[in-house]
Formats: sequence, C-alpha cells, structure tokens
Amino acid sequence: MGVAHKLNDDLGAVCTYRDALHRSMHDAMTRDPNVVILGQGVDDHKGTFGSTLGLAEEFGAGRVMDTPLAEEGMTGIAVGAALNGLYPIQTHIRVDFALLAMNQIVNLAAKYRYMFGGRFEVPMLVRMIIGRSWGQGAQHSQSLQSMFAHVPGLLVLAPASADAILQTYPWIIEHHRGPVISLEHRLLYDVNFRVGAEAAATGDTPLGARVVRRGGAATVVATSIMVLEALRAADHLAQHAGIEIEVIDLNCVSHPDTRVIMESVERTGRLLVADTSWKAYGVCAEICRIVCERMPMALTAPVVTLGMAPAPCPTAKVLEDEFYPNLRRLTQELATLVLGREGRDVPLPDDASMADVYKRFKGPF
Amino acid sequence: MSVADTYERLFHAALRIRLVEERIIALYPSDKIQSPVHLSIGQEAVAVGACDALAARDLVFGTYRGHAFYLAKGGNMRAMFAELYGKATGCGGGKAGSMHLAAPEVGFMGASAVVASTIPHAVGSALAARHRKLDQVALAVFGDGATEQGVYHESLNFAALHRLPVVLLCENNGLAVHSPREARQAFGIAEHARGYGINVAVCEDGYDFMAVRAVLADAVSKVRTGEGPVLVECKTERYMEHVGVGEDYAAGYRSAEVAAEWKRRDPLCCEADLVARWTAEIAAEIDDAVAFAEASPWPSSDALLADVA
Repeated sequence: MGVAHKLNDDLGAVCTYRDALHRSMHDAMTRDPNVVILGQGVDDHKGTFGSTLGLAEEFGAGRVMDTPLAEEGMTGIAVGAALNGLYPIQTHIRVDFALLAMNQIVNLAAKYRYMFGGRFEVPMLVRMIIGRSWGQGAQHSQSLQSMFAHVPGLLVLAPASADAILQTYPWIIEHHRGPVISLEHRLLYDVNFRVGAEAAATGDTPLGARVVRRGGAATVVATSIMVLEALRAADHLAQHAGIEIEVIDLNCVSHPDTRVIMESVERTGRLLVADTSWKAYGVCAEICRIVCERMPMALTAPVVTLGMAPAPCPTAKVLEDEFYPNLRRLTQELATLVLGREGRDVPLPDDASMADVYKRFKGPF
Repeated sequence: MSVADTYERLFHAALRIRLVEERIIALYPSDKIQSPVHLSIGQEAVAVGACDALAARDLVFGTYRGHAFYLAKGGNMRAMFAELYGKATGCGGGKAGSMHLAAPEVGFMGASAVVASTIPHAVGSALAARHRKLDQVALAVFGDGATEQGVYHESLNFAALHRLPVVLLCENNGLAVHSPREARQAFGIAEHARGYGINVAVCEDGYDFMAVRAVLADAVSKVRTGEGPVLVECKTERYMEHVGVGEDYAAGYRSAEVAAEWKRRDPLCCEADLVARWTAEIAAEIDDAVAFAEASPWPSSDALLADVA
C-alpha cells in the first residue's frame, strides 16, 4: 500500500501532529480532484491551526472554501456534495460547534446508506478539534466522541499521534465510503512524534487499536491525548517501580478493536481505561462492557477508569487542573492497580512534568 | 410537441399519481402497508409540472410527502409499492417505507422525514455539479413549514453566495401539520428569498400543471445558464390529513370551503372524460405493482445489519 511505503521512507523522521494533518490534507487534494475542504477560515492566514495553510493558494478557492457560520447547513451541503461525487472534508475548529450540525450528522449522513437500502453513499470526513486549557471553558473543550460513536453509521476516530493520522486519513479518504468523524486534539498539534516508530495498527485496515507500549502488569486503553499521558505514566512506573504497563491507543472509537483489547487484558488481568471525555456512557463504560461481556474472569482486579470530572469544564486554572485527569493521578491509580496498597509507596512524578506538553500551548486561539 | 399533447402527458402523469394514492387509501385498512403515509393528493400538479421541466440528468431532493415526486421523476411503481409493503424488492429494500423513497437511477435523490433537511443536499449537489462541470440542475422541494427552519436560511445564503445551479421549490399548502402559516411566519416566503438576491417566481395556481411547468421551465433555464438559484413558490392545497389516509376537515383547523374551491379548478376533479380515458390503463399498472409487492419476499434477516456503514 502506498501509505506503508511512504512511512518506511519516513522511518525515524520527526513530524508534528499538525504537519501530519497538513500532509494528509495536501496528499488527498493532490490524489483526487474531487476532494474539497469546507470550513470556517480554512483559507485564512492561520489555516485551521496550520493544518490547511496554503492549500487554497495551491488548489484554488473552489476546492478550499471558507464557509458561512452555518454548521448544519454546511454539513448538509457536504452531504449533498458527497451524494454527487465529491469527497468533502469539513472542519470544525471546536467539537462543540459540531453540535449545531447534529441533525445532518445523525439523522442524515449516518443513515443515508442504510435508510435507502444501500442506494446511496456519503463518503466524507468531518474534522473536529477538541480544545483544552488556557480558559477554553465549557463550550470550547468538549470531547464528544461517545456521542457520535453511539450512532450506527458513523465511523469515529480519535487520532493520538502523527502516525495515526498519516495512516488512517489517507485510508479512509480513499477507501471508506461513509461519513467519518475525527476528533483531533488541539494540544497535540504542536507535539512532535517520531513517524513510523509507533506500532502500526494490527488489523486489515489502519483503523485498529495500536499497542504503543508492551508490558505485562496492566493494560491501559487510552484515547487521544490520554495515550501520551499513559505512556508517561508507564515510563515513570518502569523507572521507579519496575512495573511494565501495556498501553493501547484505541484509535477508532466507534468500532473498538476488541481482539487487541481482549488479548491484552487476558494476559495482564488488569485494566485501566483513560479517556478524554466523561466516564459515564462513554469510552470508559464501553470498554468495560466489552470486557465484561467477553471474559470478566480474566480480570484479577476491578477496572479503573479515568476521565473528566462529571461537570462542564471550568476556566480557572486551579479548577481545570482538577477537572482533567493528570499524570500524577494516572500514575497513582496504575501503581495501586498493580501493587495494591503498596502502590501508595511508589514515588509519583512531579506534577510539573505534565506541563512539558502544555507549556508549548499558549493562547490566544 | 403541441400544447395539447403536453397537456395530456401531464394530465396522465398527475392522474397516475392520484390513482396510486387512492389505491393506497383503499389498501390501508388491510394493514399491508406498514408505514405512515403522507399523501400528495391535491398537490400532484406541482410534482408533475416541476419534473417535466427538468432534464432526466437533473436531480430532485424530496420530502416525506414524496410519492408524487418519486413517480413524477420516473421512479418505478412496482418498487414503490413493494417498499410500502416492506418487501425486499422495494426501492429501499424494505428499510425506507413511504417516507424515504429514492430512485437515484432517475435522479430522485431520496426523501427525508425531518423537515427542511434535504434542502442543503440539493445545494451541495449543485456545488458538486459545478465542480465536476456537469450540466446538471438540482431541485430541492419542500413545504412552507420548511422555510421556518434555520437550515433553509443557511442553504439559501450559500446557494446565493456562490450562485449555484439549484431550484428551490416551495410547495406552499399553507399548513404545517395542523398549524396555519399565520401562526408560524412573520415573513413572506418570496420577500425573504429576494433578500438574498435570489430570483423568485410565484405560481398561484398549483393545481394547474401547465402553469407550474411554465414557471419551472423558466426557472430551470435561468439556473442552467448560470444566473444563480431561483426560488419558486407554488401555492397548492393538501386535500387529505397531514399523515394517514383520511380527510380531517371536521377537525376545525382548516376550511372545507377553501379545499372545495381548489377542487373546482383541479383538472383531475373536473375533466371526467380524460380521467375515464386513462383510468383503466393506469389501474392495470397499479394492479400489477400491487401484485408484485404482494408476491415479493420479505427482507432476509441478514439485511438487518447490511449497509450500516
């Protein structure tokens, strides 16, 4: 496959999440003249946080279109364009704004293939960006993957790395004939990734879960930026307690890779789920359902889940820090999950180390 | 083709739709039609006149009151009855019912049961047609209630902004379920559209398929030559209740006198000789379609999870 070939070429190269997005947009536009990008400000000087920068100049205003502030209408227009031979890529600079388009996403795009007995296809990609920190607050920070993943007919992704983007975006744009919702994390945009260094997805498509760290003491299933947090916690525990944690990047939220998850849980006997969203009725609950329905006896300890506090997101830094699960809590929970009461004696990482990621991220947005 | 020939062709097409829906009324008590039905009786001329003004390659995006446009655009009658019966041979394989008829092979691009939701599809389809350099017009059909939705405004704005080849056809029957327009709208549909710089044409005689056709032909021609979108407001009358196969004049929310006045002008109600000339032939076609639906198999259980994503 072309993508794999390209990745081999890039092995060892370093690439930001943003550059991976830009490259996947650019490559899709180059490959297929019927790919168009529709979104607020996609052609402006910031170019969707850099991910569409320069594309309007290169491919023309007819293919990279700034849009009115009309989320439902523009999603319907994208659906209509997809029904008539285009591949629209729609952008929402915050996930929260996509709620205005829920009618078109849930009632129309998700159902057009099924509801008409397979007569129509709606191939399109909707990119939504999760905001976090610097006072994003209640309406610029939501992580609504489970809301979308609840609806049959939608493919929902939460790419956690540059590799995840470079592998999944070209594949879905070329091969998947239905609507895809991808929740990108704003804090990851500036993060550098070693491209080709991560484990590739294990299935026939790049949509499968990725085992990004091997270990036998416990399994962490994580989404989006929580994959990075889990890797940091795992490294800390390996260094300070000799515990080897396995970390799985869920990658595709709507169609979780059951095989990879079960194989790991069966081996480790311990599971922690770390999601960027609320725990109730979300990814945390769904992964627990998968394990409970298949092999609850594989668990040697109760499952631990981490997610946002069950409240809207506050803006004050001191509250926000408590709202999100942090590296210390994740490390503590993992240590206790593996060692029981003795886990409390494991030294925790300095909270400040979390800021390695966040310090790079400054407002205004 | 002479005017007389055109008149007879359109009359036949409209009569065919009315007889199909009258058969649905007759069949409904049998419970074999497992679907809510929103009948177009009284509004057939809008569908017939509009679709006759379109080229075969043009696309129509419809609504749950969709039998008339499905048939007028050329949708297969057997596949329609089979769909109403929930059979595997239906146009949606038994997953669509009355509200989601589709016939993409003739450019009828589906119908939605959420008011106004296919209007942006027509606009997006027009965007694609222009991008792909197809000489193709998209037609969005919707009721007057749809003009109250935000997405209608959003669609008009985008279509006008980019001068897209789309015809916006409002079937104005003055009712949203049981609510009159006066209780719902602080604006005039035509005036509102003109605010976007959209060309507007109004057809007062929505029972007259020749008049509808003339207005639509002019609109389609303007749109096709790149003059941007056109909104056509067609006044019409829904003779039956919102959903179901009965009349509900006794409910008190609408006037039987107004409906009677429309019927006095409706060619399908007045021209008994033309009705008589074609009724037997059309009835035979309907008999065949119903028999096809009756004889068709149910969807197999593996269809339940087919075509989800």
